[in-house]
Amino acid sequence: MSDPAFWHRIQFAFTVIYHYLFPQLTMGLIGFIVFWKYKALRSGNPRYATAARFWTKIFGLNFAIGVVTGIPMEFQFGSNWAAFTRYSGEIIGQTLAMEGMFAFFLESAMIIALVFGEKRLSPKNHFLVSLGVAIGSWASAYFILTTNAFMQHPTGYAVGTDGLLHLQSFGQFLFNPWATVEFFHNQAASLVTGAFVVTSLGAFYMLGIRHHDQARLYLKYGAAVGLLASVLVAFPTGDRQAKMVARYQEVSLAAMEGRFQSGPEAELVLIGQPDVQNRKLDNPIIIPEALSFLAYGTFHGNVRGLGAFPQNVWPGNIELLYYSFHIMAGLGTVFIIVMGLAVLYLLLGRLESSRFLLWVLMLAFPFPYIANTAGWMTTELGRQPWLIYGLFRTEQGYSHAATPGSTIFTLIGFCGLYLVLGFLFFYLIEREIEEGPEDAGD
Amino acid sequence: MRVIELWYAILAFTLIVYLMLDGRNFGVGAIQRAVAKTPAERRQLALALGPLWPWHEVWLVVLGGSLFVAFPRVLAVSFTGYYLALYLVLWSLILRGMALEVGGHVEQPLWQEFWDFVFAASSVLLAILFGAALGNIARGVPVGDSGQFQMPFFTNFRTRGQVGLLDWYTVSMAIFTLLALSAHGATYLTLKTEGPVCERSRRLAKKLWILFCPALAVVFAETWFVRPHLPYAIASRPLAIAAVLIAIAGAAAIFHGFRQDLSGFAFIGSWMLLAGLLVASAAAMFPTMLRSTLGDRNSLTAYNSAAGANGLKIAAIWWPVAVALSLGYSLYILRLFRGKVPADR
Repeated sequence: MSDPAFWHRIQFAFTVIYHYLFPQLTMGLIGFIVFWKYKALRSGNPRYATAARFWTKIFGLNFAIGVVTGIPMEFQFGSNWAAFTRYSGEIIGQTLAMEGMFAFFLESAMIIALVFGEKRLSPKNHFLVSLGVAIGSWASAYFILTTNAFMQHPTGYAVGTDGLLHLQSFGQFLFNPWATVEFFHNQAASLVTGAFVVTSLGAFYMLGIRHHDQARLYLKYGAAVGLLASVLVAFPTGDRQAKMVARYQEVSLAAMEGRFQSGPEAELVLIGQPDVQNRKLDNPIIIPEALSFLAYGTFHGNVRGLGAFPQNVWPGNIELLYYSFHIMAGLGTVFIIVMGLAVLYLLLGRLESSRFLLWVLMLAFPFPYIANTAGWMTTELGRQPWLIYGLFRTEQGYSHAATPGSTIFTLIGFCGLYLVLGFLFFYLIEREIEEGPEDAGD
Repeated sequence: MRVIELWYAILAFTLIVYLMLDGRNFGVGAIQRAVAKTPAERRQLALALGPLWPWHEVWLVVLGGSLFVAFPRVLAVSFTGYYLALYLVLWSLILRGMALEVGGHVEQPLWQEFWDFVFAASSVLLAILFGAALGNIARGVPVGDSGQFQMPFFTNFRTRGQVGLLDWYTVSMAIFTLLALSAHGATYLTLKTEGPVCERSRRLAKKLWILFCPALAVVFAETWFVRPHLPYAIASRPLAIAAVLIAIAGAAAIFHGFRQDLSGFAFIGSWMLLAGLLVASAAAMFPTMLRSTLGDRNSLTAYNSAAGANGLKIAAIWWPVAVALSLGYSLYILRLFRGKVPADR
């Protein structure tokens, strides 16, 4: 606890996890908004315009909190991770600046026209504006994920005589294969969050016998997109992500699976508690040979365990990494089942009358947030003990001039401020949900 | 290396654009109590800020990102050194942003009174913090032989050696900045509002600009004492002289604008005056970015802090493209929401 790096890490983790609760929804929701605006434009049916208008309000609130909690992140690199900034600034500064310049400028201008401009713009231009917001928010994700991908699997760099990283190939850096895989996996996951929230509100209105026509729309498209996105998260994107980890971060894969001994025909662990001290897994439930297949595409692939690596390259918190990964993967499986059932009932025409399934859908909305957070914890804990994999260790990166006293002070400040933001957010969202969409079709 | 000089110019440009754009919003917040007496008038004020304030704030993100890519050492050293002050800025920005976003959301007098207050208070604090930061850039910070510094809010009132964030010089710069941005904000309100708010803003703007003249002379004399090199550099560098001339033309435009009741003219003059002074200062400081009060050998300059040439060159290609696109979006929005905000909505 007296380790300064610990407090810098906690502060960054807290602020970034909190921040990302908002963009993961907006990136998913904007897909729905664009789609409904397109349907409205094509069919002229007012129910689609109503849906787009209502979800734009929810989007706007989430966007606002996302913006105000996002700005500190960029500055924390300089204030809390000064050595890392100096070491890698020439490279990761590229994408961090590009995010602001190519994505935020576009997004911050278009969101205004989306929220306040419907009366001033033609329907077609208003649709194009929503497309602009979508491009801005997804581009922002790409730039941030490219930054993260460089930290996971550095490409396009050279170490200079000054001991700092220099940009060697802009193309290799910007089109890092890790970034491509991470982008599709992450964006599919944000669509899952968006779909579950839309479905949940549809179920809420349906159960509460309000806004029936809108509720039907939310259930229909929420479930359809939810199933599609949940499948995409697992396959092909999650599968590709796992193969990347197996190829470039072998030791992380071993820790994620709680695997201590090496060997072929490796089993996949469904449940169990890792006992790191005694290097074993307690109470395991396994699928034989499945891990070898998932990692290398053959049941005989040799998956090395933690024992095969020196302890100084083991991820620092194996237990938390193991649970994060299993929570993400477990919830991902549940999502496919729940949304699969919803789509099945929808096709049978029985979803609206199936109160039990509606209850499940209504209460399910927090879980994609948990899965997204657990997924990011898997990525970031799995990268440890490195800040930039294989190049630069986490304990080399923090600001030595910022004492734990200062960091704890600002961490407490963020906790207080973000608690207030959270209350404010729930209050305002509750008002919007209570007011609901204006009923065009009913 | 030419590309380093280019990046120094880009950084100065970004900082100045941000200070001018968002400084206008800080100024409006700072004079809120003086020009808007009723809740409806305060709403009018918030609307007059225009929908683009998040776009203004993106310029701060761009400043951080550009500093990151071009001068990572300056970012690392200064943000760690200014640690607590930086967090005060970030938290004030969060509060300011929330006040603007949610203030108009609920039709409830107490709710609006609260957020109006938060907006005003955070704006004043931001103007003061950015003013003190400018004072710190001019005066210098205690960068030691280790190449780092760590600065408390206050050590003593002297401007040399182990200085803190606040001393007589930086405090007077903070007050001066608050005054200048308030005048800038009031001038903007004469352009963008109608009715009593517009009238009060006009009267206040005139008074503030009259106060501005002696205040500028005082700050200039103080700077001569604290960092004698700067006034000489302004007088000897063509770019700085040109910027000073633009500032003088701006002052004339403000004077003319208020005499002839041309608020657009006055607001352009306000931009020219403040931006001209900032450009002249930036041109005079080059190449020093973070001057050390413990000896010039410790100062961070554009040359000893820049990233490698390849990274700088590549970023210099996409940077102007992105700014051009961004100006396009903002003009589109400004055109969409043009016109004055009426008194009674």
